Amino acid sequence: MVVAETASMQGTSTQRVPDNFHRLSFSGSGKEYFGIWIVNVLLTIITLGIYSAWAKVRRNRYFYGNTVLLGRAFEYHAKGKQILIGRVIVFAYLIFYNVMLTFVPIAGIILALLLVVFVPWLVVRGLRFSARVTSYRNVRFDFVGGVGGAFLAFIVGPVISVLTLGILVPLASRWSYRYIGSNLRYGQRAFTTDPSVGAIYKSWFLSAAIIVAGLLIIAFIGFLNLAVIMTLFDGSYVATPELQVSMIALFVIGYLAFFSIFGVATLFYRAGVRNVAWSATTFDGKHQLTSDLSRGRYAWITITNVIVTLLTLGLMRPWAAVRMTRYVNEHTGVHFEGNVGEMFDKIAQEGSAVGSEFMDFEGFDFGF
Amino acid sequence: MASSVTEIAVGEWHPAGSSRSVPSRLIEDGGGVKALGEDGVELAGGVLAAVDISARVGAIPRRVEFPDGSLFETTDNDAMDRFLKRKGKTSLVHEWERFHPRLIAVVLATVLCGVAIYRYAVPALVEVAVLVTPPIVPKIMSASTLETMDRTLLDTSALSAERQNKIRDGFNAIARQSDRGEGGYRLNFRKGGTIGPNAFALPDGTLIVTDELIELAGDDTEMIIGVLAHEIGHVELEHSLRQIYRAAGVAGLIMMIGGDIGSGAEDILVQGAGLLTLSYSRGAESAADRHSVELMQKAGRDSTAIARFFDLLEDKLDDHGDTSILSTHPGTPERRKAILDYAAQLRAGAQ
Repeated sequence: MVVAETASMQGTSTQRVPDNFHRLSFSGSGKEYFGIWIVNVLLTIITLGIYSAWAKVRRNRYFYGNTVLLGRAFEYHAKGKQILIGRVIVFAYLIFYNVMLTFVPIAGIILALLLVVFVPWLVVRGLRFSARVTSYRNVRFDFVGGVGGAFLAFIVGPVISVLTLGILVPLASRWSYRYIGSNLRYGQRAFTTDPSVGAIYKSWFLSAAIIVAGLLIIAFIGFLNLAVIMTLFDGSYVATPELQVSMIALFVIGYLAFFSIFGVATLFYRAGVRNVAWSATTFDGKHQLTSDLSRGRYAWITITNVIVTLLTLGLMRPWAAVRMTRYVNEHTGVHFEGNVGEMFDKIAQEGSAVGSEFMDFEGFDFGF
Repeated sequence: MASSVTEIAVGEWHPAGSSRSVPSRLIEDGGGVKALGEDGVELAGGVLAAVDISARVGAIPRRVEFPDGSLFETTDNDAMDRFLKRKGKTSLVHEWERFHPRLIAVVLATVLCGVAIYRYAVPALVEVAVLVTPPIVPKIMSASTLETMDRTLLDTSALSAERQNKIRDGFNAIARQSDRGEGGYRLNFRKGGTIGPNAFALPDGTLIVTDELIELAGDDTEMIIGVLAHEIGHVELEHSLRQIYRAAGVAGLIMMIGGDIGSGAEDILVQGAGLLTLSYSRGAESAADRHSVELMQKAGRDSTAIARFFDLLEDKLDDHGDTSILSTHPGTPERRKAILDYAAQLRAGAQ
């Protein structure tokens, strides 16, 4: 108790009642999810993928329905048919796009234009759909973002990230978090997000350092094995079997090292940005959201999840998915201002969120 | 009436569209269900057909939505299931999802179905797709591929007209023996540049052979014809279309279960499927080799000519490599042996 008191005294200077901080929790279990998961996979395979829309509904209902805040669970309301229609549209577009790309490469300009308009539109549809089919305490979420914001966050952002070799990634992250976070509604109340670029750059620097250090190590090892690599390029190609074996080994190790470096850096960054963005989000102007993932722990859970899933040929995947969700939920919380019960008594549904739901279909898949 | 009233479950009731909730009991009353407040006052009700009861998923709260938009929520899933069972409604999917030894059978069925789909359904769908593909598709595909290659990699041939004609005559002779006939193919000579000694076929019957390959062959025109017969095999067996459809089909299936297996495992599956595509490509090469032997024999030519090409590859390019999981083509020594065996077998059959 003494420790806890000192901790809260040294904490933020705002006069928050400690009782009013509530974390999410996860009440599902890998054992329970296993059955849902394997039946999903089986039915998806025998229906050649068509059941995957209904599988998604059952999966999301399980994960939302076990995500608990203040003793109440979230709920996912989408119907399989809505998801199937969305998938058919996206699938048809992808086929059309690829066919055109193969047969009429000259039409590339038109296609690029179509893509630029069509993808943000699908993203908006997807975000709005995901928000509207999510409820908490019988009240739906809603999403009011427009195509322009989606264009900036999901087309311009990734493009400048690639063009600047990742240097502007924090800017792109900020755009997308702000676009999603500030256009989200619950009842008639708004969420607002404004993560500072400086804070995002702080976690970006760590990831950049990991990549630079990793590449230097790879370059150093490559330098030590210069003799092997040179034979690849000088054209004579007199590869003895031993040299061939060591070349393949070098190739495989290099490939793995490259991917693990970028993988770890990405995971560190993802967790860091989530912390910054969620902690810069308020609901209804006063209730402060918090995310306090440990970057190392987050990366460790992700990596060991993939390894365990592979070693068990997929059978431990349900356990891994539950483990990750539980960790993320338990490191996400809300500081409520004032009386929580009173606040929720006042929140009521806005008409629009549900009214158009049955007309709605999902665009690109975006979960919250 | 009173005798038909039974309590189903306890939970909470929300007015329509409101996050406010009050403790409530759900009761069965005659042909419908009602939500009652703590004081026994009816909060909402409706006939069973008009009430929407959510399907069970694990142990998440069960929702009962009334026609007026209000909601009764309970965590007592078993009680709801008992009630629905009395009404003759059971959820088959949930029954199978329960943690039960029967799940072992579901796992086995999943593995078996996965293998069966990969082995039988995907190839069958590929055949259907190849059948319904209009001939214009490979034509446009080939025209744009050749155009791109001409612009980037290939150059006009420096070969003498005399040498070109000699090869073309031989080629026409074997093309006549093929299913598509002489008119089904167009042979093009190009300078290979960076791609070196090579020959390849586009799906509409456009064949390209590089000067470098012809120089490598020297005076052995028969060997070049053998290599071209191999390329005819690729066209006749429609390998490129099949490979495209196959890759698309497998990628599509993996994407469908992607949400259930997670993105990390999905990436690895895609890479694995890529390796399997390579094995498919090795199979296609062997099939084209056999096709070359058949065509050459039908045309009354040296059916083992293409084997000499592999000798040459081994000598000049020092290619002794065995087949590995990472190669698109079978190992050279292996291929030569398979060709000689097949030619001998055909000859034995003919006598």
